[in-house]
Amino acid sequence: MASWALNAFEEFQIEALSIAPCSLSPECESLRLEVRGFLAEALLNYPSAKRVRNWSGSDPEFSRKLGAQGWIGMTWPKRYGGQERSLLERYVVMEEMLAAGAPVGAHWVAERQSALLLMRLSPELLAPRIVPSIARGETYFCIGMSEPDSGSDLASIRTRAVNTDKGWVINGRKVWTSRAHSSHYMIALVRTGAQSEQRHAGMSQFLVDMKTPGLIVRPIRNQLGEHDFNEVTFDDVLVPHEHLIGVEGDGWNQVSGELAFERSGPERYLSSSQLLLEMLDSADTKDSRQAVQLGRVVASYATLRQMSLGVSGMLSRGENPALAAALVKDQGALVEQAMPDIAHDLFGGVAPPDSDLAWAMSYTARAVPSFSLRGGTREILRGMIAKGLGLR
Amino acid sequence: MIEESAARLFAGNVDKAVLEKFEAGVWPHKLWSLLVENGLTLALAAEGSGGIAASWSEAYPILRGLGYWQVPLPLAETMVASLMLSRAGLAIPEGAIALIDEIQAAGLKRADDGTWSGKARSVPWARYCRWALASVPEGLVLFDIALEDRAVGTGVVSLVQRTNPGLEPVDELGFANVKGVAQSTHPFPKMANPLLSFGALCRSAMMVGAMEWLLEQSVQYAKDRVQFGKPIGRNQAIQQSLAFMTGEVAAARMAAMVACADAPGIQNQDCDSALFSIAVAKVRVGEAATRSASIAHQVHGAIGFTYEHALNFATRRLWAWREAYGADAWWAQKLGEAAIQGGAQGFWPGITDRHFAHLS
Repeated sequence: MASWALNAFEEFQIEALSIAPCSLSPECESLRLEVRGFLAEALLNYPSAKRVRNWSGSDPEFSRKLGAQGWIGMTWPKRYGGQERSLLERYVVMEEMLAAGAPVGAHWVAERQSALLLMRLSPELLAPRIVPSIARGETYFCIGMSEPDSGSDLASIRTRAVNTDKGWVINGRKVWTSRAHSSHYMIALVRTGAQSEQRHAGMSQFLVDMKTPGLIVRPIRNQLGEHDFNEVTFDDVLVPHEHLIGVEGDGWNQVSGELAFERSGPERYLSSSQLLLEMLDSADTKDSRQAVQLGRVVASYATLRQMSLGVSGMLSRGENPALAAALVKDQGALVEQAMPDIAHDLFGGVAPPDSDLAWAMSYTARAVPSFSLRGGTREILRGMIAKGLGLR
Repeated sequence: MIEESAARLFAGNVDKAVLEKFEAGVWPHKLWSLLVENGLTLALAAEGSGGIAASWSEAYPILRGLGYWQVPLPLAETMVASLMLSRAGLAIPEGAIALIDEIQAAGLKRADDGTWSGKARSVPWARYCRWALASVPEGLVLFDIALEDRAVGTGVVSLVQRTNPGLEPVDELGFANVKGVAQSTHPFPKMANPLLSFGALCRSAMMVGAMEWLLEQSVQYAKDRVQFGKPIGRNQAIQQSLAFMTGEVAAARMAAMVACADAPGIQNQDCDSALFSIAVAKVRVGEAATRSASIAHQVHGAIGFTYEHALNFATRRLWAWREAYGADAWWAQKLGEAAIQGGAQGFWPGITDRHFAHLS
């Protein structure tokens, strides 16, 4: 017989549960109004059919406008083109962009991950050279991690860099590289040492200029019919010595730190927002079936926003939100992925064929399977949470 | 402070034996006296009423504790009633107080002579309560529902005993020409359905406690139970289920804590976000309760299905509490109607303000 209470006098000790509510300052709320005013104007004629793409949508002109507002890299030091504002102010700007379906895709990865990596691990050399142009919304990044035989299991990557007098020479192949065709640089995770007992040893990160000879980008069309991800082959691609980021062989640890940021943002629950908005405009308050289902979605959204904001609060206090972020991403993907099924339930076969609702349903149904794959599969995330529970 | 003393009280005085006796029909009067002596029943009430004017956030650990230890007493109801009476400037009587929320009170009618007749069909804890506080369109009415006290002159209160899946009372109260012992206008005039809302808030926090207990028990069982030569928790299927359940509990916890932060009390009288956040909590926590109870049972296997095992004391209460004071579907309909009325334009500002203009 299990004892009645396992830890009667202690606060519940499961780390992934430790997300506390976070409240925003009046400064954050006035910034929010400023962002809303900007978006109302900048996206005045931006149609629903494009908003549905959410952060997959990209528009370099829009990115440059954001940069001019000082809303890209707004937490970064001024010497890198940042504004030295708070993480929570950045959170507000991000959530407003995503809730409006703004085309933030061009600069998204560069701002979210790559610039942070460069400032942390090459603060004097690469960061001053590149990060200011990221903040201006002019320079875009892609991430080269997955390979044909390495998806979730990144320790098995084979693309290899060899140190020579002239620099590092990279050979191999990356796949599912989003936006490789429209990025200026890639942060590539490649093997520099032998595969050893320690599965995650011997990997390093490199900054690769996408115009380097020997680097070939081939499109892989996705099931939306769109060209987003790519196959990138490296055929004796020569990379300068100073483009080794951080410490040789420490690539895995460096990537792990990056993933917490990749997983913690509001983009992990807001991706299907346009479909929800279309449903709200098409629904009938007197239809209780519609009201109950959409009311449940509202409850999930409101809760996820608080959780996502709570993770941001942890980041801003310098806490490590790795598990909490994994948990919020898992919960967020469930809501995003349920949206087309709910729409199918409520409006399937009855939405006018040429309506924005019909397009949002069609588009989102095809888009959502990737949401529990990108940035760590559902199974990987739940494995991390299970580890946090002490089960593995 | 509140958190520690509530935890110590519950941990030291609630165990499975107390619960089994309660479910066999024995009211744990000693435990009730302890809660009263320690001031828990008046936690939310004003200092002038003998309370400590705690905010809902400060009271959250008590409510969560009621669920974690599955305390078989109408403490939440008495806390809510004390807050309402105290805020209305009425005296708080001694003894447990049941709530006749707005849905239940729809069955009561007021005659010209000011007496009340009709039925409140499902009143949690009524049989063990000396008093019942009803929320009617005109305001609050406090009834003396002690059966032995009924006097012909002031009407008759009858009671039909019923229980929920948690084997807690949800009795039917019948009123025939009954006069209230006290009344007032609504002390939270900006809040629609205050008793339903506060009741839903309490049950949300209580469900979080029960789910946290369930999660602990389930994780521990998965580590201890050996099949096929290894703990069942080594299987990925079990790990994935428990990880998902952790997400559900985390979501529920956040929803309940935010609702507490947004709910008005004696000190914090601002309630612009209260209705929204409480509705969100009752919906999201109710959904999490459904999913968590299911996973906890699956992980526990056959032993968890026995009355003897502690598991069912929590899961049965979750199935009861998700229905009380407006089930998740009831609150979801309210939220959904308001969201549809607000349309695409109103949605996101509503989420960030935690307020829907059309929610009532």
